[in-house]
Amino acid sequence: MKPAPFVYYCPASLEEALELLAEHEEAKPLAGGQSLIPAMNFRLAAPAALVDLNRIAALAGDTGMENGGLRLGAMTRHSTLEKSRLVAERAPLLAETMPFIAHPQIRSRGTVGGSLAHADPAAELPAVMVALQATLVLQSAKAERRMPAEQFFSGLFATALEPGELLTAIELPALPARAGCAFEELARRHGDYALVGVAAVLSLDSRGRCEQARIVLLSVGDGPTLAAGAAAALAGLEPSAEAIRGAAEHAAATDIDPPSDIHASAAYRRQLARVLTRRALIRAAELARTASGIAER
Amino acid sequence: MAGRYVGERVLRLEDARLLTGRALFVDDLQLPGLLHVAFLRSDEAHARITRIDATAARSRPGVLAAYTATDLGDYWRPGPLLVPPPPIAGLVFHTATQVPLARDKVRHVGEPLAMVVAESRYLAEDALEDIVVELDPLPAVTDLEAALLEPASLVHEQFGSNLAAHVQQRKGDYAAARAAAHRVIARRFHYDRGAAAAIENRGVVAQWDARVEELTVWDTTQAPIPIRNGLAALLGLRESQVRVIAPFIGGGFGPKIMMYYPEEVLVPWAAMRLGRPVKWIEDRRENFYATTQERAQIHDAELAVSIDGKILGVRDKFLHDTGAYDPYGLTVPINTQCTLLGPYVVPHYDSEFTAVFTNKPIVTPVRGAGRQHGVFVMERLLDFAARELGIDRVEIRRRNYIQPDAFPYDHEILFQDFRPLVYDSGNYPAALEKAVELIGYDGFVKQEQPRLRREGRHVGLGIVSYIEGTGIGPYEGARVTVEPSGSVRLATGVGTQGQGHFTTFAQIVAEVLGVEVGCVQVSTGDTREFTWGTGTFASRGAVVAGSACHAAALKVREKILGLAAPLLGVPPAELVLEAGSVHVRDAPEQGMRLGELARKANPLRGAVTPGTEPGLEATAYFGPDRGNAASGVHAMLVEVDAETAAVRIKRYVVVHDCGTIINPMVVEAQVQGGVAHGIGNAFFEQLSFDENGQLMNASFMDYLLPTALDVPSVEMAHIETPSPLNPLGTKGVGEAGAIPTGAAFAQAIEDALAGSGVEITEIPLSPNRLFELLEAARGAP
Amino acid sequence: MIVEGTYPLPGTPDVIWNLLMDPEVLVKAMPGTKELVRTAPDRYEGVMRIGIGPITAAEFELVILLTDMKEPHSYAMQIDGKGRAGFTRGTASVELSPDGAGSMMHYSADLQVGGKIAAVGQRLLDSVSKLMTRQGLEALNRELQSRLGGAAV
Repeated sequence: MKPAPFVYYCPASLEEALELLAEHEEAKPLAGGQSLIPAMNFRLAAPAALVDLNRIAALAGDTGMENGGLRLGAMTRHSTLEKSRLVAERAPLLAETMPFIAHPQIRSRGTVGGSLAHADPAAELPAVMVALQATLVLQSAKAERRMPAEQFFSGLFATALEPGELLTAIELPALPARAGCAFEELARRHGDYALVGVAAVLSLDSRGRCEQARIVLLSVGDGPTLAAGAAAALAGLEPSAEAIRGAAEHAAATDIDPPSDIHASAAYRRQLARVLTRRALIRAAELARTASGIAER
Repeated sequence: MAGRYVGERVLRLEDARLLTGRALFVDDLQLPGLLHVAFLRSDEAHARITRIDATAARSRPGVLAAYTATDLGDYWRPGPLLVPPPPIAGLVFHTATQVPLARDKVRHVGEPLAMVVAESRYLAEDALEDIVVELDPLPAVTDLEAALLEPASLVHEQFGSNLAAHVQQRKGDYAAARAAAHRVIARRFHYDRGAAAAIENRGVVAQWDARVEELTVWDTTQAPIPIRNGLAALLGLRESQVRVIAPFIGGGFGPKIMMYYPEEVLVPWAAMRLGRPVKWIEDRRENFYATTQERAQIHDAELAVSIDGKILGVRDKFLHDTGAYDPYGLTVPINTQCTLLGPYVVPHYDSEFTAVFTNKPIVTPVRGAGRQHGVFVMERLLDFAARELGIDRVEIRRRNYIQPDAFPYDHEILFQDFRPLVYDSGNYPAALEKAVELIGYDGFVKQEQPRLRREGRHVGLGIVSYIEGTGIGPYEGARVTVEPSGSVRLATGVGTQGQGHFTTFAQIVAEVLGVEVGCVQVSTGDTREFTWGTGTFASRGAVVAGSACHAAALKVREKILGLAAPLLGVPPAELVLEAGSVHVRDAPEQGMRLGELARKANPLRGAVTPGTEPGLEATAYFGPDRGNAASGVHAMLVEVDAETAAVRIKRYVVVHDCGTIINPMVVEAQVQGGVAHGIGNAFFEQLSFDENGQLMNASFMDYLLPTALDVPSVEMAHIETPSPLNPLGTKGVGEAGAIPTGAAFAQAIEDALAGSGVEITEIPLSPNRLFELLEAARGAP
Repeated sequence: MIVEGTYPLPGTPDVIWNLLMDPEVLVKAMPGTKELVRTAPDRYEGVMRIGIGPITAAEFELVILLTDMKEPHSYAMQIDGKGRAGFTRGTASVELSPDGAGSMMHYSADLQVGGKIAAVGQRLLDSVSKLMTRQGLEALNRELQSRLGGAAV
């Protein structure tokens, strides 16, 4: 398991990196390398060149935004986000999810930008970014553009990134006042690819009814899957146990079309989607009620 | 035998080196001019080779050679049959052994087609892409039943079928027992393939020194001496010209006792031809095909019982998957056949198996070596019988045990060492009672479980019993030498793959010679140090090699006393060995350091009494009359999430009997590690081959090994029934933890899901599979 | 691995049949195909490169044999793809039936996948095969649309 030969570039700045990517069509950016390098060692990937982003300090780090949101540099390591107090305060869903991503060793090298650009259907961060309605900043040597996370993921391992473009930052809006979040995942072993995962953000109106539900599942299809039917089923209702059960049923039965693989059949995935969506919504609703000062009836 | 060291929790002497990176493993070797090897392996499970051309590979810069089967000339030949079948009446066995490089036909995915030798592994892998191969696919033989009844093709045409062997062993008259039975419990059981997955893959480094005409081979083998002898014969060298070193090895577990692997015979050959040292290190993906594996069997078994649950007889007919070749004979299925009987009185037994060739990697023993399957079948049948008869599952076992006063107990069939299966000693009821107490069986069944059920929780208990045949022959040897420094050197022919031999053997010798255990330097696995022996396998190291160490130490002790007595002017009976000296009892000042005595035993001038051997050194061998029977009981508590079918192990108890314990920490570690392996077998590990013989999970992403978070800390207790078959009274313990885990798991999960109608007759399980079983029991589509 | 389904295409079965027999159209319908040449009336040979997610270096030599030709209704194919990353082979069938002004294609394939991609890519094979099928059909649809002068279905 040794990779095929390749050329290695190590730019010191973002400008230099973008120029290299524009000039060398067959070059791939190297972030944490936790998915790319194994694929290269298996010789299933054989890029002619790698553009190493790890020396570009400007691309890493998490900072608060004036609107109460959070800006994450694409090269910020998972482990940084895991330990960040800012993330815990402003994006509790993200903080809750981090320990589910692989193992500490992998999190010490893997980056949020790398995970999103790779767009593995079993990855946690794409689902979380869609649930949180993040905005992604994409840059090329010529231009910069911004895109909602929901539009960024276009299919199996497919994103809106054009050739020569890099994802450079992720902006998370502030959470609504009466919101609660929860993340649930089931894997065979701790750190494994999820069999099914659910990221849920539930916000209530002043009367304690569901104003918006963002329910996003992972490992049930080509990428982060928004359970629109489940969300619609909850809209305007109090998130009671019964309402939540109905939403979870929607998520499992109609919002997803899961694949089968050697670890889980499509039927088993649907069952997990049903159970995990319900569990996530119950917790999110509880947190939303607490945030609103509403007691459960 | 117990005293200062034997039975003591001595910290392992080898750990400081291992933990600080100072231990040598095969891949650590850096030799001047070292070349590296990569193998081109078949992607097809069954195909004719219509074309293979390595010309382009040879002309790549940095490549020194690229060999295919034709390039090997006379060197190409199938490997030897390592374990001939036992002398069982009516036995049928077809020999088909592995070849160094496939010729004419490939018979499993991963079978080597070509070998490239280059300046680096990177270049060697680049060169693999230059080799042109055309394979004409044939239907793959994968289903064990179809392979025999309606084969779409034959793995080995010369046999006219895919039958590799047929063996029947009988005792008594099962048909009569069946006719007299109150109930007959019959089921079909499936056990699926798994790998050993040692942390270190295989590796071979070979160096031919033309000046002294000696070949040195470093090899991750469990059998350095047989490898040395075999390589010498293959390469036309004298045995004394070949030195095989098995250095520190990261786990063996069985597949490294398979011998004359293609890589093992080709790397030394290439080193001699090219005149430069050659290294091959297996990568993990190769390990899934190129290293042997085990465990697929299908059993149709039945148990005839009386109304009070006594076993009248067992009939078992099973198919055993031996893979594409059968160099290791019938060790695994014979173990299954024998271990099924377990600790029970089985008056009538009819066991028949057919070993089947398939287009899958070769099957040879992997920790447990076929015993798991036998235990699974018997324990499950007893569980089903208990349920049908309304007898408690612990009670039904109690009623059928061989009693402590019934030893030696002859089961009247043949074991893997070709000797009759006779149990030497044991106390099965005591182990069961201890396990029942530790797991809190009565309280759980009567109070805790009903309470948990009322809370809607599904917690279950599994408790199973097993026998492990260990310590088989033929023999091992050891040489003990007291050196002038006072240090003691111990050399033995077995290798070590983490079992703690550097400590346990030192304990045995230190006890006999009265020296500090840290003074005993142990050498294992180096054929220059010791040249007679068979290897580390079948849980026999401590029993057979340990007994040889003991015997050699006793001989040296005799020499010490014989030499010291006249020097100190007293009869030998008045001398004691203590703290590295020999002295008159109760008069330590009247004595001599052993090192000084060793110097005196090797005079440079003068005369000795005729017949005196110099030095304080002796070699001794030990070969037991037959293997002995270790035993135990495992009990576990599991909780099943009925919604997700996820399973969590809450507690795991092992009560184990391995006779005299040399080092309790080593025994506990073996049991803990064995249980980890067993949990993997039962719930995580499954080699998924599709119907075309393609392995669908050849990486740790998808072949799941349990991690520290999945394996509980095992709660242990020991029963000690010493074995009369060796002077230490010890029995093997290497595989015990792995053997009954599947059976315990199945019983525990069924217990957790009682009332659901789910019956478990297969291993391994998974949440996905449990979900399927639950749905099926519910009548869902 | 079984892949099957239906897909509406613009044009009558006659028209579609002729276009399906044209290697230049087929190249478009098989994403990643670098070249495809018709070497006999019933035989196509070519090279195909798979590029999905991490897998970008899987190149296959492809041989497709057409059998059971029942112009313009149906035909069957024997597919054989071999490369360093593994192989795929099996059979497929295509049926065209009139559907309003256009046609409905019924397709079904039974493919064996082996070698490295099968050994380490199991988690994704199902999704990848569905994706490639969808991409292929969409590309075929676009190609047919443009050849037919953009007539809407």
